[in-house]
Amino acid sequence: MDNQEAKFILKAYRPGGADAGNAVFCEALAQARHDPELHAWFEREQARDKAVAAKLKSLSIPVGLRESILAGGKMSVTRRSWWQQPSWLAMAASLAIVLSLAVVSQLRTARLDLGQLTAQILDDTAHGERHGSHGQEASQLVAFLSQPTTKLGSSFPLNLGQLKADGCRTLNFAGVEVMEVCFERNGGEFHLYVMARPSSRDLPKGPQFVAQNGLHSVMWTGDHHLYVLASSKDEAALQALL
Amino acid sequence: MSDDAFSQLVDQYYPSLYRFALSLARSEADACDLAQQTFYVWAKKGHALREAAKAKSWLFTTLYREFLRGRRRGERMTALDTVPESELEDVALTSETVSSMDGAVVMAALQEVDVIFRAPLTLFYLEDLSYQEIATALDVPVGTVMSRLSRGKAQLRALLTSRSAANTSIVVPFQPSKNKASHG
Repeated sequence: MDNQEAKFILKAYRPGGADAGNAVFCEALAQARHDPELHAWFEREQARDKAVAAKLKSLSIPVGLRESILAGGKMSVTRRSWWQQPSWLAMAASLAIVLSLAVVSQLRTARLDLGQLTAQILDDTAHGERHGSHGQEASQLVAFLSQPTTKLGSSFPLNLGQLKADGCRTLNFAGVEVMEVCFERNGGEFHLYVMARPSSRDLPKGPQFVAQNGLHSVMWTGDHHLYVLASSKDEAALQALL
Repeated sequence: MSDDAFSQLVDQYYPSLYRFALSLARSEADACDLAQQTFYVWAKKGHALREAAKAKSWLFTTLYREFLRGRRRGERMTALDTVPESELEDVALTSETVSSMDGAVVMAALQEVDVIFRAPLTLFYLEDLSYQEIATALDVPVGTVMSRLSRGKAQLRALLTSRSAANTSIVVPFQPSKNKASHG
């Protein structure tokens, strides 16, 4: 680096020493320490810069400018009502989403009239058709349900997706998929309808028995599913399976 | 941003911002407007800045942009870009001469420097920003800032020298004479 280059760099060195730690100036500063001519130039340069900087900083600020800025800033901030603040808006948006989901869920549940569901299931059972399916999941479930010792009335392992894949009969009730698995037990034919447990507060806490046109059903809920067991057998026969 | 934080930010930077604005706008009223407008923009948008440390650069950048936005279209940005290096040699201006001048005179000289040099030069003298930060604030390469500082200093010193010389020739000490001369 020659002195011309060093001068070019050192002209950007602030007179107050704020650039002392800036590595860009190290080499040029070192050169100024060792070169008398450059050293003298740098001292003059810094003295003049310092004098100009001091003059600029001595300029008075118009009276009232600070207050005007503060007032203007507050106005621009307070122009928004509290509910227009970004944090509140974000919170409101989140709340709106949660409420929307809740409403959708409620609407689904509302549409999912459990009484109507039971009625339709009994209508479906009245046709007397027995539906089979293939696949391991469906076969295992049928075997499980057919065992005389199996107690229903609570939760048991089910994979609705796999049942559907296995060709298990799937009905659509108010937008909700309901699987039907048919099995025999104690000399009678039973139809188990299963669906994902709806998030309704009005789900039955215990088994709900319904009779319709000589057919009977019982509804109960497990941890993840809602079950309706229907048969031409009477209520006692259904009760015996629970 | 809370009122307290906003007040602190204003207290910290409004003097430098005003002086920067004054050098650019050449008028006290316009400088006040620019400083106010800058903080107004901050109050509206600046609080979204994630790093508080960048507030300083953001404010100077915003003020400069607001200034450029308000300039008349077609106004020339430079007159000295073509000044040959040979004319950028040191002029005989001492620090004592500058110190003896009024601050307003120095500012007036600075206001005559072409704006393309004036902006980095003022930021340099206000000492709030390093030359790298000035480059960021004005959106020009660092090498360009160094070059403009060099040329801007030369122009300012030439202007200060001529003002100093003008003052010397104009200011005549009042010396009452015993024999009052009669003038035409």
